Amino acid sequence: MNVVSRGIKNALRSPLRSGAIVLMLTISIGLILSMLVARSSVDTKISSVKASSGTQITISPAGVHGFSGGGDPLTSDQITKITDTTHIASIISTLSDQMTTSDTGLTSSLELGSFGARQQRSSSDSASSETTPTATDTSTTEPTTTDRVAPTPGITVTGTNDVNSVSTDGSDLNLTSGKTIDATGSDLVALVGSELATKNNLTVGSTFTAYGSTIEVSGIYNTDNKFQDSGIIMPLATVQKLTDQSGAVTSVVASVDSSDNVSKTVTSLKTTLGDTADITSQAEQAESSVASLKSISGLALAGVIGATIAGATIILLAMTMIVRERRHEIGVIKAIGGSNVKVIGQFVTEALTLTIIGSIIGLAFGVIVSGPMTTSLVSSSASSSQTSTSNNRGPGGAASMINKGFNQISSNLTQVTSSITPAVFASAIGITLLIAIIGSSIPAWFIARIRPAEVLRTE
Amino acid sequence: MLEVKNLVKKFTSASGDVIALNDVNMKVETGEFASIIGKSGSGKSTLLSMLGALDIPTSGNIEVDGVDIAKLSINQQTSYRAKKIGFVFQYYNLIPNLTALENVMLALEFGGMPSKQRKARAEQLLNDVGIEESQQLRRPARLSGGQQQRVSIARALANKPAIVLADEPTGNLDSETGKKIFDLLHKLSRSENTTIIAVTHDMDIAGRTDRTFTLKDGKITV
Repeated sequence: MNVVSRGIKNALRSPLRSGAIVLMLTISIGLILSMLVARSSVDTKISSVKASSGTQITISPAGVHGFSGGGDPLTSDQITKITDTTHIASIISTLSDQMTTSDTGLTSSLELGSFGARQQRSSSDSASSETTPTATDTSTTEPTTTDRVAPTPGITVTGTNDVNSVSTDGSDLNLTSGKTIDATGSDLVALVGSELATKNNLTVGSTFTAYGSTIEVSGIYNTDNKFQDSGIIMPLATVQKLTDQSGAVTSVVASVDSSDNVSKTVTSLKTTLGDTADITSQAEQAESSVASLKSISGLALAGVIGATIAGATIILLAMTMIVRERRHEIGVIKAIGGSNVKVIGQFVTEALTLTIIGSIIGLAFGVIVSGPMTTSLVSSSASSSQTSTSNNRGPGGAASMINKGFNQISSNLTQVTSSITPAVFASAIGITLLIAIIGSSIPAWFIARIRPAEVLRTE
Repeated sequence: MLEVKNLVKKFTSASGDVIALNDVNMKVETGEFASIIGKSGSGKSTLLSMLGALDIPTSGNIEVDGVDIAKLSINQQTSYRAKKIGFVFQYYNLIPNLTALENVMLALEFGGMPSKQRKARAEQLLNDVGIEESQQLRRPARLSGGQQQRVSIARALANKPAIVLADEPTGNLDSETGKKIFDLLHKLSRSENTTIIAVTHDMDIAGRTDRTFTLKDGKITV
């Protein structure tokens, strides 16, 4: 029997007390592992969200909100300022418009439905400030919304210098037939959404009238999005010319050279463009969105520290009590030739034994509860940020790609997968050892101070 | 040979210094069985602590085979206790959660004996002091007072010490058992040529030792 085996034997000397100590350590160490897992998982998610937020910045006319109006289009001077801003690598400009029956002979493939019709009428009323007499009562000039003729849905025309920007998921636009157009040119060509093409029997090579000009169908695209597939994509310069909006754009998506420069570029653009444009980036939105996750990470760290202190205190108090109880025994061991190193070694082994038993059970406990605990922490916290940060800025086109991407990130915030990595496990074991060392240090100091003559004199 | 010269030990308390030992001089030859007698508080146990390097004298010298143990460092004192001294206590002071065999093996470990040899040596010692094999695996609580004191003696002799210091070795035993323990110590003293210094109240026992020192108020009077 040596120092180690005596320490182990002593640790199990009082089953009830040892059991109580192990139980408390189990809870403490289980909590440490759970909090470490939660922190690690949340940190991984934060990194993932930030990484997926990309390097793109959306610039829209101030106050613009889809086709609900608000703001003037961005001018060519503003586009130049954007392009000249440091760290801007490239830009995609978009000009969106809606063709009415007076602009084209095409029939929209969209069904407004009661909600869409209400929105359309409301928009029309507020735009024109006109009132329409009702069909049933011509004697009054009071407008009503219940018995007017339902408006015809418009056809969205997107002029862009990059047709892929219209793709809903940021990937290349899926052409089901024909070929793409030169978006940087000014030809009278168009890509037509599959829904609109079907509705109007358009095929590659067909022509249609828009803004008084004849446009040739170059290709048919499909995005699996009914709204997108009911639109038309043309070169930016073509739409600007057809709509008499030379140099104007309704949204710009700027690519920054590095994700590290997104924040400073946004600041720079806000300074340059002032209050004439709304500037947003996924990175900014993601930063705001992950704030709750960061608070969970902080909370988890506090939990780790608290549980470590609790565990160390438990073992410290237990070992101090044990040393005080066995003061006489320590005196005897020293009297018969036991050195401080051997006696301290025995008690450190005793503390380590209790800690290791507590760790094994605690780590197993932690493995079981870490998943539900992480999920619970994340779901209760992230839901609030999801609702507060989700909004819809700007008309379709490239801006919609940004917004859709962000909404996807936001909706995935609660999907944090807790996983116990080797690093997390090693950290938990390291903390456990720290607990044992802290818990043994003061008792060891007590042991070193015990003088056998004093102990034996009090017999 | 053990020689004590002008040994003084003072304790400091709230009411002032207390002189426990006052200019003690004594000499014990190798292999002698000496006894120290005196009333309670006369300084017997304090003197034994000094001889066993459990405590440091205020002044004076304690020489064992020419080495002044009062001048040893803490580590040297520990080594001295492990290899040169054997202690037998009135209340045995066996480690309660170790068996009789393990208690003896513990002293052998501190004495530096290789682990493989400890068990055989401990069994031999316990057999020598009359502890049967079945009793050797019992914890102290399951042994009688006499048996515990025998185990204590076996532990004291484990490392073949030069000196065995016994503090009232029979004080907690009935007279018959006490006599047996004394006879055992006497026999071992002769067979192993070990110096034994025993503190006792029992004048009969003291009368049977080779030399007796009487302590009174911290001074040796005889």
